[in-house]
Amino acid sequence: MVRVERLSYNFGRNWAVKDVSFTVEKGEFVFLTGASGAGKTTLLRLLYGALPVTRGLAEVAGFTLNRLKKRSLPDLRRNVGVVFQDFKILPRRTVFDNVALALEVRGIPRQVRERRVRAILRALGLENKSYSLCGHLSGGEQQRVAIARSMVGQPSVILADEPTGNLDLDLSLHLMSVFKQFNDFGATILMATHNRDILACVPEARVIHLKDGGIDGAAPEPEAVS
Amino acid sequence: MIGRILCLLGRGATDMRRRPLAQILTLATVSLVALLAGLFLLALHNFQLELLRNRGRVQFQIYWSQNADMELVKKQWTQLARMDRLERIATFTPEQALQDLSTTLDAGDGLLQLEGDSPLPPTASLSFAVSPDQQDEGWAKRLLSELKALPQVAEVHFDPMQYSLAQNWLEAVQRVVWPIIAFFGLVAAMVVGNTVRLSLLTRGDEVEILHLVGARPWYIRLPLLSTGAIQGLLGGLIGLGLLKLVQLGVQDALAGSPLALRVEFLPLNQAAGLACAAVLVGLASSWVAVRS
Repeated sequence: MVRVERLSYNFGRNWAVKDVSFTVEKGEFVFLTGASGAGKTTLLRLLYGALPVTRGLAEVAGFTLNRLKKRSLPDLRRNVGVVFQDFKILPRRTVFDNVALALEVRGIPRQVRERRVRAILRALGLENKSYSLCGHLSGGEQQRVAIARSMVGQPSVILADEPTGNLDLDLSLHLMSVFKQFNDFGATILMATHNRDILACVPEARVIHLKDGGIDGAAPEPEAVS
Repeated sequence: MIGRILCLLGRGATDMRRRPLAQILTLATVSLVALLAGLFLLALHNFQLELLRNRGRVQFQIYWSQNADMELVKKQWTQLARMDRLERIATFTPEQALQDLSTTLDAGDGLLQLEGDSPLPPTASLSFAVSPDQQDEGWAKRLLSELKALPQVAEVHFDPMQYSLAQNWLEAVQRVVWPIIAFFGLVAAMVVGNTVRLSLLTRGDEVEILHLVGARPWYIRLPLLSTGAIQGLLGGLIGLGLLKLVQLGVQDALAGSPLALRVEFLPLNQAAGLACAAVLVGLASSWVAVRS
């Protein structure tokens, strides 16, 4: 589902990602860990086409990113749900509108849209905030809106960049259970995090540890969640 | 598909509510630029009308031969008085001409002694006022030939100075008007274009998010183009409304003044052209904004 071979990316003289190779099978849950600046976000940005793949090979959900034409980029993004570190939600629109946006751009009929958006908002505990403006929500609630939007299109792959970064531990654990549920339904999940607490929520998940842009062989042990 | 396109175009209109201040400022700029462009066109249009009105006022002096048959001449005067577009006619028999000359020269009884044997010919002074829409190429010359062809007419004089002056002004205006219109059009397009572009760039975050969730370019561009066109249309119409108010005010002020100038509003085609230009500029600048 995700295949990366000798993938490298540099900003000027700095190698943000260097010679990274790994594979994520369909339905697998993989954590991408590493300290700040290890290259997690850059790697994810390469995988959803926000940065061009110029060195190495990357395949996501059947799309080869090296050869991906500009006009095919929307097709890739419809198959890949992305949770951004900075949420990327529209503060002047309601929670419902923000989540529905992912379905609206695909031309999904209004009734189907409403049903699916309500279901995902219920699962993430946002049902009573449906008509609140996103700009009026707390950081944690905005994070959940971003997660809901990434999941509502039922993508085959979810790339999540620090999805629990703004949440307290209880909420983080709840959201991890939602991710896990999604994974159980067959979605492939690649989640970047520096929060080692949440690794234990998905014990069967594989961990890829990044250090200075490359893969570090010694992955950290998941910590016990109280 | 058509329904979806219409829906996206409609979304461009509803999206304008999201940032009311930015939209109002953009609309104000577009309206004021449209008003300035309209004022320029209005001034040009009325200047041209005034020139045409002046060019249409020509005076002819007709001199019959000295031994002309007065019965025939008087019949001709009656015919001349019925001529189209004639504003004023003054006729002089030889005796009346002598009297008039004597009064003008303050010659006392000296000239009047010649009464009954006046050496002056019958004359007529004709003032024509041809409205601008009835002025075609060479109308004044045709009228001159027509008068010269009258039986027993010896000479016809007319002052071509006013006609030529107005004609030359008109030609000069028509020669320089297009470069000036092009220059002002460019300036207006740049001001309106940049304003609309800046207003759309404030929606950069929205565009980025739409790209990230898999929206196709046309899905993103259509509402933005529609917003630009609506801003252009509304701005153009508000500008025209303001221009009408200015015209009414100026018309009242100048009508009573010693100038007694008539200030007319732009003809329909020019007003429509101004509104269309505003729409096109709004559309073009949105296109540039969404491409960048």
